[in-house]
Amino acid sequence: MTLIKKQIPLLICFVVGFLTLSSYYVPHPVSEKYMEGINKWENIVFGFAFLLGLLSLFFSHYNKIRRRVPGWGYSIFVYIGFLMMVVPAFVSWGQQLDGASLTSLGWAYRFVFNALSGTMFSVLAFYIVSTAYRAFRIKSPQAAVLFIAALIMIIGKVPLGQMMWDGALGWTNVLVADIVEWLMSVPVVAGRRGIMMGLAVGAIVTALKIIFGIERQYMGKD
Amino acid sequence: MEFLANIWQWFAGLFTVTPGWMIFGGWMAAGLTLCIYSFLYKDNPFFKVAEHLYLGAGMGWVFQVTFFQTWKPRVWDALMDGQFVVLIPTVLGLSLMTQFFPRISWISRYGFTFIMGYGAGLVIPLEITTNFLRQIGGTIAPFAGGAGFWAMVNGAIIAFGFICVLFYFFFSVEQKGVVKKASNIGIYFLMLYFGAAFGNTVMGRFSLLYGRFDDLYKYSGSGYFYATHVVLGLLVAYFVLDKLVLSKKNGGQEPAH
Repeated sequence: MTLIKKQIPLLICFVVGFLTLSSYYVPHPVSEKYMEGINKWENIVFGFAFLLGLLSLFFSHYNKIRRRVPGWGYSIFVYIGFLMMVVPAFVSWGQQLDGASLTSLGWAYRFVFNALSGTMFSVLAFYIVSTAYRAFRIKSPQAAVLFIAALIMIIGKVPLGQMMWDGALGWTNVLVADIVEWLMSVPVVAGRRGIMMGLAVGAIVTALKIIFGIERQYMGKD
Repeated sequence: MEFLANIWQWFAGLFTVTPGWMIFGGWMAAGLTLCIYSFLYKDNPFFKVAEHLYLGAGMGWVFQVTFFQTWKPRVWDALMDGQFVVLIPTVLGLSLMTQFFPRISWISRYGFTFIMGYGAGLVIPLEITTNFLRQIGGTIAPFAGGAGFWAMVNGAIIAFGFICVLFYFFFSVEQKGVVKKASNIGIYFLMLYFGAAFGNTVMGRFSLLYGRFDDLYKYSGSGYFYATHVVLGLLVAYFVLDKLVLSKKNGGQEPAH
């Protein structure tokens, strides 16, 4: 039973991982075909992984409604929101535009999904400002550098900031946009490269541990 | 069969986007936007409704994308063409559903190990190419010749900062002496990066905010029957009434959440 429950799944992980990794470095029609095929397979399996999450969400909200937990009425709106996108999608067969005019899916995307997602993320603008107040209390030289970099980035990207800069430091003949560009292409690159390299090393090591079956927490308990 | 086709035609006809639907869409967008912004005042039922709708709509959007871009062309159409090999990833995918049945949930490992193996195999060459070799190459490039004086100076600053940041993340030797000094300088470069990233995030969020305000302004016009004004007025009326009722009930004290 261990063979079926544990060893074969680990073998699948090893074989798929090893073939995918080696195919990248083997310029041969067979490896190219393998990559093409495995990408399609991955898409299909990933689609079902999404379905697993979707069903899990539905069960969770169904249980809230069934048990009448506090706020259960809101759970109904999860299903309404889902149907508001899916029914038009099937009616318009996945097309957002019919010629130049909107289909019902295009309508749902523009007036429901886009409005909701845009607003939900823009609300964070208000919270970012209050967070910035706490984060940018300058207590050390490092915090001062963080504050100055953020401030330059913010004022350098809006016309009002440019006007303020011109009023205060216009005599230097240096444009704030030039400073933003230099900041982004020189010191910020240095900081980002260090982090990216650290991430790369971490990702490679973790990936190797997964391929060789050392890291297997994702398989769950027996 | 003809009856069913007629029913479907009638049903699909209900979803034809007419000018009336566009006006209703304006009301819907303005309403949902203001419902979410109402959270800035305090948590309330309108925000919660919009929040749950967003969750459902987001899942619905991804579901239809998955259906029309993956399942239909890559599974259904492929099977209709006689490509039965797609049954393998389909079965692997379906194996994930056994997560709902604890007794046989181990079967889902077949699907999960496939995903993990593929991801792990793909991430190694991608990380080596993009985040490892290309970053080192980019650091060396200005010194390879052909670059001007200022490009060399900037290249030297990048190389110096990059090495200092690496020292900060280097824990194989004790951080003291030169290593400590380099590591401290690395922190400043990291702070510059974090500050710039924060500034960019703030500006990104604000550009979304401008977009929403622009839409609210559009829907406040007579063409949309003043949707923004009406919805905003209703929300304000709700909060005023809520406050009045609350003050009667609790003597002006809001309940602790």
